Amino acid sequence: MDLPINTVLRPASLAEALKLLAERPGARPIAGGTDLVVQLRDGRRHADVLVDLAKVGLAGIRDSERGLVIGAGTSMDAIAAHPGVRSRFPALAAAAARVGAWPIQCRATLGGNLGNASPAADTVPALLVAGAAVTIASARGQRQLPLEELFAGPGRTHLKPNELIVSVLLPSVRLGQGRRLVERFVKVGPRQEQIISVVCMAGRAIVAADGRIELVRLAFGSVAPTPVRARATERLLERKVLDGSLRHEALAVVQEDVKPIDDVRAPASYRRLAVATLLDRFLAEVARG
Amino acid sequence: MAERIAVTFTLNGEKRSFQVPAGRRLLDLLRDDAGLTGTKEGCGAGECGACTVLLDGRPVTSCLVLAASVEGCEVVTVEGLGGAAGHLHPFQRALVDTGGVQCGFCTPGVAVTGAAIVALDVADPAEQARLLAGNLCRCTGYTKIFAALEAAREARHAK
Repeated sequence: MDLPINTVLRPASLAEALKLLAERPGARPIAGGTDLVVQLRDGRRHADVLVDLAKVGLAGIRDSERGLVIGAGTSMDAIAAHPGVRSRFPALAAAAARVGAWPIQCRATLGGNLGNASPAADTVPALLVAGAAVTIASARGQRQLPLEELFAGPGRTHLKPNELIVSVLLPSVRLGQGRRLVERFVKVGPRQEQIISVVCMAGRAIVAADGRIELVRLAFGSVAPTPVRARATERLLERKVLDGSLRHEALAVVQEDVKPIDDVRAPASYRRLAVATLLDRFLAEVARG
Repeated sequence: MAERIAVTFTLNGEKRSFQVPAGRRLLDLLRDDAGLTGTKEGCGAGECGACTVLLDGRPVTSCLVLAASVEGCEVVTVEGLGGAAGHLHPFQRALVDTGGVQCGFCTPGVAVTGAAIVALDVADPAEQARLLAGNLCRCTGYTKIFAALEAAREARHAK
């Protein structure tokens, strides 16, 4: 069945794409289309005009002095396979390898995963623990936004209709002497592959030689209207040596920190248990040394 | 009324042009405009993998691809996997030999994704399973599909 749209515009450059978005209110950008095509088909989103980003040149991963820059048009498959992402941002590599199944990963883009603003978007917790910033462009220029400030609610961002996500910056980590980095991504669902997360979690910790947690970031997906950081839990853990009682306390705090909801995929009670379990496993890895 | 748009791309090795409604999916272009009905529609939502084709060498679910967006790309369907008409790709041959086909509805998608896995020369069974997990098969239990993958990989190395 054809999608209920009127036309598709196919700009050949970013400048042309931004001009089209500025001139045609109601135009919606499309990249891989793995979310948008289903939503258009089911009437959950509407568009008169689609602006196809296939030839705009937003794919690619490069190193900059501030960190790794991932173009918004980069596919999940390319992110999961990239040596720099795998070694420096392993949670993101793991998350990208769990977005849908492989034929989805070969088509779905990072910019699309962010723009679609699903509370269950798997890449988002991994990007949140990496302290990612999003570069947004319009015909008037560019701006940068911490990823945490991008989301307005389920399916909604703070982007203006004429704006486009062009890249994501992952700041480099500078590990001091004797420090180690622990980074993990885990998702829970009825099946490992091809599933919308019931809960997903990314964690990053930097642990000093004496076992003290110097930095910890914890982020969860599918537990709130947008992916969220568990800040009270982070504050509880930071600058402390992990022992049994601290770990126990963290598992209680995290369930208050993220306030999961009941929905079609799971009741809140299950999600609270899953959140605590995932955190417990992450902390076990942090403590292992 | 939707506008019609022109799209030109390489389909199974041959340069082809089509005029289609703006909202046409690649899946429908392949089946209805190009007459290549090997590619099947299962769920229509990118979950079952029956409609998988190669787009610039990578497997994608053609039910989620806007036809207009494949301008200038290379698309290979199950009909073109083996190169010339009537020829089977080594993985298709292996599916026949091992009995990796039962009802056949998922087979075109499995053949396409499997051929891409063989091309990547993936040896790790867990990674093979991860890559094939988007192609749902109700019949075979996958054992013979994985046997076919291994046979095709061995055939590739024997060359």
